Order: sequence, then structure tokens, then C-alpha cells
Amino acid sequence: MLKKIVLTALAIMTLSAAEVNVYSHRHYPSDAELFKRFTAQSGIKINLIKASSDELISRLEKEGKNSPADVLITVDAARLHIAKEKNLLTPLKSKVLEANIPAHLRDKQGYWVALTKRARVLVYNKETIKPSQLSTYEALATPAYKGKVLVQSSNNTYNQSLLAGLIVHNGEVKASAWAKGIVANMARKPSGKDVDQIRAVAAGMGDVAIINTYYLGQLLASKRPSDQAVGEMVAVYFPNQKTTGTHINVSGAGITASSKNRVEAQKFIEFLSSPEAQSVFAEVNYEYPVNPKVKPSNLLASWGKFKEDNIELYKLGENNAKAVKIFNESGWN
Amino acid sequence: MSRYFNRWTVQTYAWVLTLLLPALVVIAYAMGSEGETLRHLKETVLTHTVLNTLYLIAATSTVALILGIGSAYLTTFYTFRFEKTIALLLAMPFVIPAYIVGFVYGDLFGFFGPVHLMLREWGIKGYFDVLNFYSVVLILGFALYPYVYLIVKASFSKSRSSLLYPALNLGAGKWRLFWQLILPLSRPAIAGALTLVVMECISEYGTLKYYGVDTLSTAIFTAWFGLEDPQSAAYIASIATVLVISVLIIEKIARSGATYKSEKLLSKIPKERFTFLGGVGAYIFMAVPILFGFLIPLSWILTYGYANISQIVEVDYLVVILNTFVVSGGSAALIVAGALLIGYTARNFPYGINRYLSKMASFGYALPGAVIAVGIVIITTTIDDYMGENLLSGTLGVLIFGFVVRFSAVAIGTVDGSFERLGLSINRASRSLGKSHLSTLWRVEIPLMKRPLIFAYALVFVDTIKELPLTLILRPFNYETLATKTFEMAESQMVYESSVYALSIVLIATVPMVLTILKSER
Repeated sequence: MLKKIVLTALAIMTLSAAEVNVYSHRHYPSDAELFKRFTAQSGIKINLIKASSDELISRLEKEGKNSPADVLITVDAARLHIAKEKNLLTPLKSKVLEANIPAHLRDKQGYWVALTKRARVLVYNKETIKPSQLSTYEALATPAYKGKVLVQSSNNTYNQSLLAGLIVHNGEVKASAWAKGIVANMARKPSGKDVDQIRAVAAGMGDVAIINTYYLGQLLASKRPSDQAVGEMVAVYFPNQKTTGTHINVSGAGITASSKNRVEAQKFIEFLSSPEAQSVFAEVNYEYPVNPKVKPSNLLASWGKFKEDNIELYKLGENNAKAVKIFNESGWN
Repeated sequence: MSRYFNRWTVQTYAWVLTLLLPALVVIAYAMGSEGETLRHLKETVLTHTVLNTLYLIAATSTVALILGIGSAYLTTFYTFRFEKTIALLLAMPFVIPAYIVGFVYGDLFGFFGPVHLMLREWGIKGYFDVLNFYSVVLILGFALYPYVYLIVKASFSKSRSSLLYPALNLGAGKWRLFWQLILPLSRPAIAGALTLVVMECISEYGTLKYYGVDTLSTAIFTAWFGLEDPQSAAYIASIATVLVISVLIIEKIARSGATYKSEKLLSKIPKERFTFLGGVGAYIFMAVPILFGFLIPLSWILTYGYANISQIVEVDYLVVILNTFVVSGGSAALIVAGALLIGYTARNFPYGINRYLSKMASFGYALPGAVIAVGIVIITTTIDDYMGENLLSGTLGVLIFGFVVRFSAVAIGTVDGSFERLGLSINRASRSLGKSHLSTLWRVEIPLMKRPLIFAYALVFVDTIKELPLTLILRPFNYETLATKTFEMAESQMVYESSVYALSIVLIATVPMVLTILKSER
């Protein structure tokens, strides 16, 4: 009898002890909602540490095989690639993920998958600029835009990935000339975040800003009337439609090399790729879903379809350090 | 008992070494880094980040000194209406984290903030941009001057009438008295407070990044993470270290000039009243830091905090509060205990290296939290590797250790100062009566130092509940504090929603501040 009780108790304990430890750079309300739903459906508890992916990767690296983390979630592809190169991830094999996520949004060897897409687009002041005056990222570096361009600091990983993409497409020499051209055209020294660039465009400090789409989504959905007004004063332009396509970055996840809960971790990532989870990413956080079965939110859809840059995402990671060096040399702080 | 090796000194050495270890580990990591990346950094960003850091230190210190010493002087030597309230309010900017003040002013003076909207309504077109170096200087200056104010005020109020009266009777004007007597007498206190301000400037990161100012601490991040070269990052960290060492040496020299500590405390000087014009000027002078450093950011936080109050219904909120108390309360206790140990050793065995122990233990304050965090991760994982299992990594103990390394400096200054004022005579008397060192410290000296110790505890407590980068990296799973919550929401551009948590920080920090200040007034 006693043996039975102990065994049942043990069984319950092991059942309820099912958990996944997550290191995540994502700090959005959509995620808290999704983690709750996952736990409700699977009984697997999610333990979370949020910090920047650079810091989390650094922690993973130092922790080595003893790391408690099972899943690493980053907000850009370069960081996923860097984690893979540092042998911090382990390959995933999953029919579910293969079905839910298109091949070009998964690592070739299966070390990571993308969960959402973000487009780095231009927003322009509707009063001072006509969309016909805009064309490509490259064009922003020409003298025509002197004093008109707003963009945040080069510490920002999204900018690093954008430049890494330009290095791949145009080569280092041209990418370097581009960075110098943008610095020469800046309306102000880089400061603030993407949202602050949108506000500066609306105020007329510059005419065009380089930003990630969901920041505009958040402004338009804000409870503050002045934020909504800012959102209304600008419009989105998808650059490079006739050339390489608009720069796409992803937020994605991989299972850590040290993971002790691989089965649960995989279930968790599979859940995040499911139509249910994907629509939460899309509706709550205005990101583009990776699962083709899920449509972008109405707002994103209203900006129109566009040609995406189909560059292989790992190349953004490969060229990240080069991009940072070019930024430093160009004086883009 | 040996001068250098006895139970006290050995324990103190061990403690100081523990505090230094994360920084040492990081610097050891940097050894032999004459790599390509470092050359690149030297050619590109290094010079201007060093210069920016120096400018930032010079400008912020100037603002903090003028505001801090000025208001300490007025509240100590004059009596006026609302004196107590104003003296209290002057300390309050300390309870609002600088990164929140940064956000608030970014919003208020933003292109679509109330200031611009008002100007537009008045028909004034155009715009001005506050995201720049000068704003950072003002924000940090207004956030950091309370260090100077509190520490210098404590020292002013101990100014001895035995020195001031004869000077006044001999016809010295107020200006001369201030410049030639009061100020020099408080030199050690000023130097101590200034050291804290300077170290804060060197380690500041969040506000600088938002306002687009590159300093050594942002360069450390670029090197470490952007260029993936920890060696170069550690090299830059060691430049910051050299800066700190120079500041500490200068402070030591400043302190050694003053040897008034053993003088007996006589009656306090009666306070004077302002002349009419002097009064107007004085009120304006004190209103500026109160308004910009405290009341304006507070009203912003209150406005949005109130609008988003529905969030705190969640149970999570209580857990967050509890976590904040546990980690800050625990760290502050350890820090004050450590400061006592160091202070006692330094005073009772003032030989050789012992005189520099408190400087060494203060080191962590000047390094960016993230750098210390990485040093600590290296240490804990090395131990875990050796033990073959995960004993330390990701535990609360590690986070508290991080806080102890980072914030010991805040308590050490105050504790050292109060040991100095206490002198050695009581200690010698107690020991000659046969009491041990420990029992003398515990039974005789700590009760006498209760007030400064509580003050030190409060100062550290408030500083730790505001701490961010270290907590982000070192915390255990699911561990949220008020600071991480505030940051997380502000980071996802939910600045307004984050104000509930910011407000909680302010409220919790206010309690110990008000209590200690009221206590010290009496």
C-alpha cells in the first residue's frame, strides 16, 4: 500500500515537474500570454529569464554543459547563428516544424527555427515626401537625402543585420560607402529607439526613418491620442522592391546543447509555430507570422504585400562583426 | 597579535578579495589582447568614447557639486519656512532611477510631448530635440546630486562652532567663511560623495544609450557583443578601471589633508535667517533640483501609474515586491556588515595595504553592471564545473553576490566616515577593559554608530532596488524585481504601462529615505 502511494506520488511529481527553462530576449506581452496557454494545454511549466540575447548567449557560453537552459529565443537571426557557431545549440528534427515553417526560415542543419518575421522598412512624412521619391536603402545614402534620414544607434542589432545584408548583396566596399553616406545624411546623431525615429519624422526633423514595422503598429494601437496621431502622420514604404527585396529579420528559437528537457523543449517550440500561437504573435505584437497558414494582422495587411529579401539568414550572423566594424569606421555611433 | 595577519585582517582580506574577484577575472580575461579588433577599436571609437566619458564626468560632477553643496549649505546654516520639508525633498531625486528620469524627459520634451504641444498651441513652430549629451548631463546631475547633498550635509552639520565662532567674531564675511573654513573642513565628505558620482557616470549605460551618448561603458558592449571580442571589451573595462583608480587616489589625497576627526563636538551653531533677496534666491536655488529632479518625474509617473493601476491586481505584483525586498534587503545587510569589517580593520590596523582596503572594495561601483555580471558568471560556472553539478549558477545567492560587489562602495564611505568620527579612544578603552575586538565592535561601537549604519543601509537598499543590468543577467528563472519589470515594459515601448512598477520603486525607496533623514534631523 505504502509502496503504491509513494509510487503514485512520485509519478505525480515527475509529471508536474515537467518544465522547460527558457532564455529569451523577447519581452512582449504576446509571449506571456502564449506561455500561459502552452502550460494549460501541455502541463509543462515554462521557466523564464529575459535579458538581451548577447548577454544570454554569453551566459550560456560560460555555463557550458551545466547550463539549466533548454531553449534560447532571440530577436534576430544573427544571434541565432552566433549561438549555433559557438556550439550552444543542438539540432531539432520535427515534422511539425517542417510543416509549419517554410524551409528558408529554418536553419539548414535544423539548429534553429524562425518564429516571427520583422521587416525593416522606411517610414516617411506624408506631407514632405511622396512615395515616388523613395526607392531603396541604398538610395538613402545619396546626397539627395542630406539632413533627412533618421535611424537609431549602430548598437542596435536590427541595424547590424540590415548592414550585414547589404554586405552580402553589395560587398564590403559598397556597404562601407553606404554607411558613410547615411551618416552624412542623418538629420541628427543616432539616439532614441525606433519609435523615437517615427516621432522625429512626424515632427519634421527628417523626412524618412528606418524602422521595424511593429513599432508603427504599437504606436497606432496606443491608448495615447498623441501616439496615434504620430502614427497617422507617417506612412510605410517597403524599399528595394525592384531589387533585392525588403530586409527581413526573424525572431527565433533553438534548443540548447545542454538541454536536459529536449522533448518538452521541442513541444514548446512546436507550439509556438502552431497557427494558434502564430496568430497571437501577429495580432498582439504586429509581427509577421512565419506559418503560412496564418495571415498577418489587418493593420499589417493594410500596408500591402511586399517582396522579401530572401537572403539566407545565417549570412546575417556571419557578417555581423564586419557590420559593426563598418559602423565604427563610418562614425555611426 | 600580528599587525598584518590576525583574524581581523585575514577575514577582511578575504572579503575584499571576494569583492574584487569578478573585476579581476574580467581583466585577466583581457590579458594579451593586442588583437586586430582592439586595433580597430583604437582607430575608430576608443578616443572619442574616452573623451566623452571625461566630459560626462566633468560636467555631471559640476552640476552635482553645485546643487549638492549649495543646498546642503543652505539647509544647514539657515533657518526658513518649510525648512524640514525642503531638506527632505532635496534628497528625494535619489529614489527615482536615472533611466526612468531619462524616459520621462524624453517623453515630456519629445516632439509630441506636452511641451512641444503647448508651444504649437501658442503658435510657435519648429522643434527642439532633447536626445543629446547636454540632457544626459542634466539628468544625471539632477539624479546624482543627492549623494553630495546628503553626505556633505551630514558633514556640515558637524561643523564645529569652536572653529566658526572665532572666525565670525574676527569679522570674516560669510563667503570667506564658506570658502576658507566650511568647505575645506568638509573636503573629505565632498571627495567621498564626488567619488560616488564619478563612478556612477562611468558605469551608466541605459540613459546614455537612449540619449545617443557613447562612453566607455557603451564601448564595452560594442566590443564584447557587437564584435564578439571579450578581450577588447575587458581592455576597455580596464581603461575605466584606471580612471577609477585615479579618482580614488585623488580622493585619498583629499581626505588625508583633513585631520579634524578627533575634535570634540561642541554645540551646534545657531541657524541664520535669509535677507529678503537672499531668501528669494535661496528658494529658487533649492526649488530647481526638487522640481526637475523629483516633482516633475514623480507627477509623470503618478499620472500614468494611476491610469494603469489595474495591473497591480495581479498576484504577480506581490511576488515582484517580495522579490525586490528579499534581494535588496539581503544585499544591503551583507554590504553594511562587510563595510563594518573593512572599516574596523582599516582603523584598528592602519598599516600598509590595510589603508587601501576600502578603496579596493569600492571598485565594483565603477564597472558597468553587465561587466561584473559576466565576471561573476565566469566564477560561478568555474566552481560548478569543478563540483560537477549546478550549485551556484542561477541561484539567488549569485544575484545577491553581484549586488554586494557592485554596491559595497555606497556603504563603505559612510561607515568609514563614522569610524573616523568615533575615533579610537572608545575602542581602546573597551579593549583595555578586556573586551575582544568583536565584542567591542558589537557591544560598544555599533550601538554608537547606529544612525550612520541605518543611513548606509537605506542608501544601499535604495540603490539596489533601482539596479538593472546585473539583475537581468544574474537572476534565477522567473525572478522579476520592480526594476526588471519597469525595464521590460519600457523596453517593449510600453513606457506608460511600466509606470506602475516605476511608481512602486519610488514609493518603496521613499520610506527608508524619509525615515533616515527625519532621524538624522533630530
